[in-house]
Amino acid sequence: MTSEPHPLSCETLQNGDYPLMNPKTITYIIKRLILAVFTVWIVFTLTFFIMHAVPGGPFVGEKAISKAAQQALEAKYGLDKPLSAQYFTYLNDVVHLRFGPSLKQRGRMVIDIMMDGMRTSAKLGVIAAVLALVIGVVLGAIAALRRNTVFDRIIMVLTTAFVSMPSFIMGSLLLVAFAIKLHVLPANGAAAGGLVLPIVTLMLYPMAYITRLTRSSMLDVLGQDYIRTAKAKGVPAPKIIFGHALKNSLIPVITYFGPMLAYIVTGSLVVEQIFAVPGIGRAFVSSIINRDYMMIMGTTIVLATLIVVMNLISDIMYKIVDPRITLE
Amino acid sequence: MRKLVAWALCAAMVLGLAACGDSAANGGGSGSAADAATGAGAEEEAPAIDESLIAKDGINVCIASEPDNIDPALNSSVDGATLVLHTFAGLAKWEQKEDGSFEIAPDCAEELVEGKENEDGTVTYTYTLRDGLKWSDGQPVTAGDFEFSWKRAADPATASDYGYMFDQIAGYDKMTEEKETGEKDEEGNPVMEYVNPDPELLAVKAIDDRTLEVTTKQKVSYWDELMAFPTYMPVRKDIVSNEGWATDPSTYIGNGPYVMTAWQHNSVITMVKNKNYHDADKVTMPAINFYLSDDANNMLTNFENGDWKLIDEVPTNEIASLKNEYPDEFVVTGQLGTYYIGWNVNEDILPKDSGLEGKEAEEARAEIRKAIALLFDRNYIVDEIAQGGQTPASSFVSSGLTEADGMTDFSSKAGHNDGYAGYYDVSQDALENNYAAAIEILKKYYEFDEATQQVKNFPTLTYLYNTSEAHKAIGEYLQSALASVGINMNLENQEWNTFLNTRKAGNYSIARNGWLCDYNDPISMLDMWITSSGNNDCQLGKGAHKDVRAYSIDLTDLGYDTKVTDGTWAETYDVIINDIKSCTDTNIRYQLMHRAEDLLMSTGAICPLYYYTDLYMLDDSVKGFFSTPLGFKYFMYCTVD
Repeated sequence: MTSEPHPLSCETLQNGDYPLMNPKTITYIIKRLILAVFTVWIVFTLTFFIMHAVPGGPFVGEKAISKAAQQALEAKYGLDKPLSAQYFTYLNDVVHLRFGPSLKQRGRMVIDIMMDGMRTSAKLGVIAAVLALVIGVVLGAIAALRRNTVFDRIIMVLTTAFVSMPSFIMGSLLLVAFAIKLHVLPANGAAAGGLVLPIVTLMLYPMAYITRLTRSSMLDVLGQDYIRTAKAKGVPAPKIIFGHALKNSLIPVITYFGPMLAYIVTGSLVVEQIFAVPGIGRAFVSSIINRDYMMIMGTTIVLATLIVVMNLISDIMYKIVDPRITLE
Repeated sequence: MRKLVAWALCAAMVLGLAACGDSAANGGGSGSAADAATGAGAEEEAPAIDESLIAKDGINVCIASEPDNIDPALNSSVDGATLVLHTFAGLAKWEQKEDGSFEIAPDCAEELVEGKENEDGTVTYTYTLRDGLKWSDGQPVTAGDFEFSWKRAADPATASDYGYMFDQIAGYDKMTEEKETGEKDEEGNPVMEYVNPDPELLAVKAIDDRTLEVTTKQKVSYWDELMAFPTYMPVRKDIVSNEGWATDPSTYIGNGPYVMTAWQHNSVITMVKNKNYHDADKVTMPAINFYLSDDANNMLTNFENGDWKLIDEVPTNEIASLKNEYPDEFVVTGQLGTYYIGWNVNEDILPKDSGLEGKEAEEARAEIRKAIALLFDRNYIVDEIAQGGQTPASSFVSSGLTEADGMTDFSSKAGHNDGYAGYYDVSQDALENNYAAAIEILKKYYEFDEATQQVKNFPTLTYLYNTSEAHKAIGEYLQSALASVGINMNLENQEWNTFLNTRKAGNYSIARNGWLCDYNDPISMLDMWITSSGNNDCQLGKGAHKDVRAYSIDLTDLGYDTKVTDGTWAETYDVIINDIKSCTDTNIRYQLMHRAEDLLMSTGAICPLYYYTDLYMLDDSVKGFFSTPLGFKYFMYCTVD
């Protein structure tokens, strides 16, 4: 039996082919960065004009303030100028990373409010992502190695359930079970230990997805010729699993990295609401309700940039682990 | 390079497993699972809640979500007011007497003086501050601080929502006078500007460090109450010169019973007793955690598991079961305000071929609107839908607002009808008669099908409400009640800010509305209907209604030479409100207010449904708590068993 080395096996990279140093890759990254800036600018522009087209305003309240007072406030924040002028002023500010004052929480700067929220959200998101990745890969690998056993079946049933259940239902179920019935965890995300439930809620979907992804890709890899060759050559099982099989079956997982972060960023909007977690997602939702223009723009730009950058990193990582992919 | 990635993944795995192990070990509810995993990453940790203090003697409560602003001058929310009242002390404060009734007691002032009437009808109050008053940072509180704060809060440049709370002080009107600049804004509305926006015009003055003199335009029946209102709390010039002072505990310096020690934005505000407060001996609660949440379900969960001792909101769909489950802890108190339906008076509801014009048409519309108000079963709305112990409303001025004697309910004398209070009988027994009366009126103007007992050519209405399950349920009831007489009404909901905009602009036919008072005086509900008011959502005196001459008033019996027949809204209602505002005779003033409400209700533009209540849940281990009629919550005199 003649077999070429699998394109993913170690041999293919032996001649010092470091993908990141490749001029083609560098051109690609530069192109993508320009595209990223362009994307964020489009999001910025659309949000700006849609936001101003929506009826209402930051100084509208149930109890009306006098017309002159309202106009004075608008003048103070530059909202009395024509929309196009406001657009360019604000664009210039944002380019210089000035996000301005909040219109609703008078006296606070948008950047401070965002940093406050970001600290909590980042904690929530990073832990959820890491847990999803680690648990997902481990469970997926075990399920593949113990294929068709009870353990495999249980994992598949559970992950199917987690993948098909939206986070607002999962969150509410966990809330009822652990905070109300069992009293073991607080319902309020701001309390001590309050982040546990939101993290679990946010983690379950990507974790289940990664488990399934790892399992099927691992099964695929385990059936490959080079694994059989390795076995035949007498390579110890742990080395086959960790050195060859697992590594190569992680490629699809890495492609999922970008979508997972996008899910975690958007999912946190819902989860933060359910558990009253004081994160940026909740700040974003309330800024829209309040028509806090400065805050809406600030959070939109930050979240959009985050997603664009994460997708870019995920694509580059993809290229690094799988040289078959050409970045164009 | 691939090895690097593999290593990175391995590292992540180990780190994650460590976090897993932690969370399993500490599942019992400490925050360390989360903290351990981020460890070095979260270097700038927000200040922790002082658990030991709170666990020992403090109290955890939740009255609302993150306040927009707790600068006393800029706050406009009830929950913000509670926070301000715990950290600042004005000339007066609310106290609850043994029998449960409320009184206004002196706080920073030695006593609440009677005003001295001047020759021109203005009234001057001269207050002496207590000796040795201090800010929480130890500096003395002076009369000059009060003068500065009031002028700052009333100053048009501050643009406070509650700037008008100073409108009884001489000089306020001149300071806030507006004129058109002649320019138009993008939407074609005239651009306005202030003529003399000089805060120094406000007649308040510090005579010396302990003497404050203030002159009002006339005698103000609710003046003492204003002295306890959050907007009247003192702030210090050097502190507020920093624009963000009210957002950071280190700069949030007050003179009240508590000092804010920590504010984790969107999660919790922690306050501990202020040793520098002059009446600190009376303050029994050493520390308060005000949790910040806007989710009623979340609040309830925390109340039920015993973490939070008071929550100011409960999920509407849980009210019925909570009332049964927690008969002693589910509290309903009266609130000064009315939930009502507002008609846009410029919306024609007559059949196209009615042939009516001008005054006749307006009177017909008013009669029809009033007839429709008779079709609703308010007891059903209150008992089956709202379920919060509300009272069916038969007048616009809320129950709880009193007559000149401070005892009798203003609403009990409204409408001047025999056998019932208000402008119609809202008792269960009157339902059938009301219905029959309404049908008789509708028959006069619309084609009527005797067989089905329904009108046939009533134009389709659209009921506008802000998105909320509670408002929707009421809208659906109104829809079905109207359908039974053949009137089609669609329901349309809009998100809050959009809804406010639509309603203010008058782009609706009929809409959900509500008003909560700022002080115990009926004028706080009546002056919002003058032509120029920004809250005149029914568009009385605006648009086409501006030229409708359908209103008559006769105030000659009250000593005024005002007698108008077939006048416009501005010539009648605006005139009465002006007279009320300048009236110095309390009895006549209250009679004038009844006249104003009579005129308002004669338009049929307002269909009151119920008087608001304040619902909250209070753990039965808490003693000494009270909530004022304006909804301000007082935790300082609490103890927890």
